[in-house]
Amino acid sequence: MIAQQLVNGLMLGAIYVLVAVSFTLSIGILNFLNFSIPGLFMVGGMVTWILIGKGLHWGLAILGAVAAAGLVALAVERLSYRRSQAREPEVPLVSSLGFLVLLENLALVGAGSDQQAFPALVPDFNLRIGGLVVGGAQLVSLAVALTLVVAISVVLSRTSLGRQVRSIAESRETAVILGIDVGRLVPGIFILSAVFTALGGVLFALNYLQVSPFMGEGVGFKGVAAMILGGMGSIWGAVAGGLLIGLTEVLSITYLGADVVNVTVYGLLLAVMVLRPQGLFGRPPAREKL
Amino acid sequence: MRTLLDIAGLSVAYGHVTALHELSLAVPEGGIVALLGANGAGKSSLLKAVAGVVRPRGGRVVFDGRDITGAGVPARLAGGLVLVPEGRRILVSLTIEENLLVGAHLRRDPDGVQRDIAAIYDRFPNLGRRRHMAASCLSGGEQQMLAVGRAMIARPRLLMLDEPSLGLSPLFIGHLFALIRELNRDGITILLVEQNTAQALAVAHKAAVLELGRIVMAGDPAQLAGDPRLAEAYLGRAAGEPAALH
Repeated sequence: MIAQQLVNGLMLGAIYVLVAVSFTLSIGILNFLNFSIPGLFMVGGMVTWILIGKGLHWGLAILGAVAAAGLVALAVERLSYRRSQAREPEVPLVSSLGFLVLLENLALVGAGSDQQAFPALVPDFNLRIGGLVVGGAQLVSLAVALTLVVAISVVLSRTSLGRQVRSIAESRETAVILGIDVGRLVPGIFILSAVFTALGGVLFALNYLQVSPFMGEGVGFKGVAAMILGGMGSIWGAVAGGLLIGLTEVLSITYLGADVVNVTVYGLLLAVMVLRPQGLFGRPPAREKL
Repeated sequence: MRTLLDIAGLSVAYGHVTALHELSLAVPEGGIVALLGANGAGKSSLLKAVAGVVRPRGGRVVFDGRDITGAGVPARLAGGLVLVPEGRRILVSLTIEENLLVGAHLRRDPDGVQRDIAAIYDRFPNLGRRRHMAASCLSGGEQQMLAVGRAMIARPRLLMLDEPSLGLSPLFIGHLFALIRELNRDGITILLVEQNTAQALAVAHKAAVLELGRIVMAGDPAQLAGDPRLAEAYLGRAAGEPAALH
């Protein structure tokens, strides 16, 4: 039943897409490989779970989790990115990795290391199209991911705000001369990136009905792989990379077994890097700027 | 003539290196003022400090009667103080039209912006024909025209140009200085930093020579052009040789 596996792969890929877009916004606009993103993914899932556990309506719980991720992203901007901007690019990379460790361990202290059961929020209905079965949560994931990606793409390419952001991506000094408010827009990019990631975490919880302090790691690395596969700094590249990795993962589990899934996923990345080092949608030699 | 820009005792320093030393300069409304001097004399620092890109250590900048020393870049742009930076700084990943639109991002009259963009395409048909192409396809001269166009769309009252002729072919340099005259006739005051001393003196109403962050000579361009010290230092001619313009 290969068609069914393709559907499942696309749905899983939708979650990778959100994480990959988050990475690509950060590296394409800010030139910052933000390793706190897997932590924000976890914050999205875990905080939603905690707030629902405290009796909040699920809508408010998701809103609270996204807001929490946004606040953490602002802290990363202030404490990690802004302080070490003028120095080596590796410095904020490593200190953002520190935020990931910090977030994971805070969650560990607060909730323990066990997988926690996440309530089924999307009614357990299945859409049957011909012989295909599409789950409700899967549909929600794909719809949310696609809507967000189309929205960000339109804002970046068509609006004044988008042009200002792309000016910052190309040259921050030029943006300052043109009177663009860099000091306000850069934290905005951090928040936007956090919203994408945290919603990815919520969708993950919605689909797999479980959360844990380390839920962001596997997805985070696949998100980086998806971004590189698609071409760094390209939003549609991140979409293609995310979907491709989701498909590869599901097909590999079905036909080759769960043991080799990382071999096929990262093998695919390696093969693309050898054949097309700039990624599928990337432009050599300079990185594409959104 | 009324003073549009009044710079008084302006000092700029980068760490321990002083770029401008208590410099004072008045730019009359409707005039063209040329700033001359060797590399590192402080010309670009002066323009950047006036544009608000660099914070001065001391002194005042008064534009149109208002003290703007503490104002940010957007406030200065909105007031009509616009810089065409050194090296043009075109955004090559954006299209030509997007570059113009970025220059207009502080304006709140979309119809007026569209009219002004159409006027720029009339003036520079090469830009209009390729409006939806990436700005990286433009030659150096066309990029300079786009940089001036991007400044025009911000509706300057004082246009500051930093080394606009740098790297251009003689033909484009001719176009550029004709354009500067034209913009000035339209009522825009110009503060021009140039290495191309002869051309700058020919177009200016007033000129000043900077050396190590200080004004060492100032006055009538024709007189300065004939000054043997300037000839020796910046025009590459021996003292006493006649100063032929153009």
